[in-house]
Amino acid sequence: MSLPLIVLGALLIASALGVVLAQNPIHSALCLVVNLVGVACVFAALDAHFLAMVQIIVYAGAIMVLVIFVLMLLTIKEEERRLAGLFQLIGAGCMGAFFVVVVSREALQQFPVEQRTGESVVGSVEAVGRLLYTNYLLPFEAAGILIMAALVGAAMLAKTSYPRSGDATSSGSAIEGEGK
Amino acid sequence: MNAVIGIFIKGFIIQQITLGLASFCTWVERKGSALIQDRVGANRAGTNFFVGDLLKTDVLVLQPLSFLARNIVLRPAFAVFRFLGSIGVINTLLNDAFKALFKEDFVPEGTSVFMHALGPFMAVFPVFLAFAVIPIAPDVTLFDTTIRFQVAEISTGVLFLLAMGSIAVYGVVLAGWTGNNKFSLLGALRASAQMISYELAMGIVFATIVLHFGTFDLYQIIEMQSGSILNWGVFFMFPTGFLCFLILFVVGMAETKRGPFDLPESESELVAGYFTEYSGMKFLLFWLGEFAEIALFSIVLSVFFFGGWNIPFLELPEGAWWAALIGHGVFMGKVLAFSVLQITIRWTLPRFRYDQLMSLGWKMLLPLSIVNLIVAAAWKLVS
Amino acid sequence: MIEMDYSAHYIILSVILFTIGAIGFVVRRNAIVAFMCLEIMLNAVNIAFVALSRRVGNLDGEIAVFFVMVVAAAEAAVGLAIIISVFRNLQSTETTDASQLRL
Repeated sequence: MSLPLIVLGALLIASALGVVLAQNPIHSALCLVVNLVGVACVFAALDAHFLAMVQIIVYAGAIMVLVIFVLMLLTIKEEERRLAGLFQLIGAGCMGAFFVVVVSREALQQFPVEQRTGESVVGSVEAVGRLLYTNYLLPFEAAGILIMAALVGAAMLAKTSYPRSGDATSSGSAIEGEGK
Repeated sequence: MNAVIGIFIKGFIIQQITLGLASFCTWVERKGSALIQDRVGANRAGTNFFVGDLLKTDVLVLQPLSFLARNIVLRPAFAVFRFLGSIGVINTLLNDAFKALFKEDFVPEGTSVFMHALGPFMAVFPVFLAFAVIPIAPDVTLFDTTIRFQVAEISTGVLFLLAMGSIAVYGVVLAGWTGNNKFSLLGALRASAQMISYELAMGIVFATIVLHFGTFDLYQIIEMQSGSILNWGVFFMFPTGFLCFLILFVVGMAETKRGPFDLPESESELVAGYFTEYSGMKFLLFWLGEFAEIALFSIVLSVFFFGGWNIPFLELPEGAWWAALIGHGVFMGKVLAFSVLQITIRWTLPRFRYDQLMSLGWKMLLPLSIVNLIVAAAWKLVS
Repeated sequence: MIEMDYSAHYIILSVILFTIGAIGFVVRRNAIVAFMCLEIMLNAVNIAFVALSRRVGNLDGEIAVFFVMVVAAAEAAVGLAIIISVFRNLQSTETTDASQLRL
């Protein structure tokens, strides 16, 4: 195993466990930020430079800020420790471990550790951008429409009151919608 | 191994430059604000150091000192000290820092100490990290090895700047939340909404710049502006380049949460905004981060629009160490000029209202930058 | 220098993260934390995408990751808006509290 994989793997697993186990949602959110930055580092280690930067900009910079924003606005109490029962937890753990073992065995068989052959592709901005605007142009445009729809939908959902016809004063505080 | 040591040395140098720029901004803020408000400003600390006085008061220590040490070392050193004190440098850099270091480190009730300390850390960390991708001088060839004065030679420098800008929100949010206080929370909400809003215009301006230069590498962007002054970013595809510069300047003022955009810390409404509950060195760290941000935005402006280390109509020889030194001096001169300009604006203009701030960001800068991008793209297509 | 291919190990890392996220999604009651566990699962899949894309030698996997990010951003905006409007009615973000099929 390579060194970045060990270090990043330990960081990622620890922070993911932190998200699940932290009592306070804000602590979970901060653990998730560490996790997402760690994933960006994994992308960088895998030569996906563009994705590493976009990961930080989109996930750490936009999505998680929005989540923390909402957590701060809602002032949620700490969750009392009422996770699922012990029996269910053990069951979930066993299922998870089984899943991990099965997929890991398959992965090791399918993709054995071997010397790399051929050209290594680097996910530079130019390469990814060229692919996005040629082969994947239609999905890219559709993604734009999806984002637009999500923006409008979020603004509508987060409004406190819907302005009725003839009711000009209630504009609604759409601060959450603006935050995105 | 050599590469690792080189990176450490470069990181150390750039760290020192960052701190130096931040200190300079602090001093300009103190003395410049005094100048603007017709005050004298800091001029006392350190002005009372005379060798003769010391000899009188502290005979035991200084009597053994020979005539030579007194006159060659102490007298000039004290003279420099007095001069620095009279222009306020000692006060802003030495006295304030020591005062902050010895103050009580106050942590409000009901928050964890770790989270409270994380706030100022996260306010400073992304700004300092962003300096890693900035080339501070042209390449130097020493002993057949080319040295590039850039810590992280990554091809996606512009995106890295954007990423660090988007991470900077966390410091503010954490500080506001751990303050456990209405004022801090309101300040943090205002700050994060403001930063996210202005980031959009910043991203689109960056896209326009990348469209023009055709690269994300900051070193190449500076290299492309060498030669004639018309190669500078401000003049590209007139007027799009100049509009980019204006938008980025306004966005920079808003992102540093200063100047007319300092609603998050507006002292007349919220005590000090998101860092109300911080004292001592943690409080000072927020200021350090703010001044480092001013320096960073000045650097970004001079890299993108004013040619970095390029001197118009003057080609410096490539690879010579003295050329690199001159280039670095020119670069820093541009950066300092922009820093002074930002601080002057901060002390000149009155504060915006919150709705004015939001409508400036969303209804003016964002559409303007989008139109600018489209015009630049059309121009690029035609030419 | 011989460069080895560790994509299997990256996939194992991805599976472990996915499992942690899935268990967290089931176990946690807070809707926002469940949402965050969902993000962990998406990211785990992204790691597998990038590792396999590098193994195969083309960039199609990275394009898939890009689209996953787009969908995650849209999902975050809409999901958090829904959580806010549920909170407004129920004063709670617990998933078990939103048990009635009306608000």
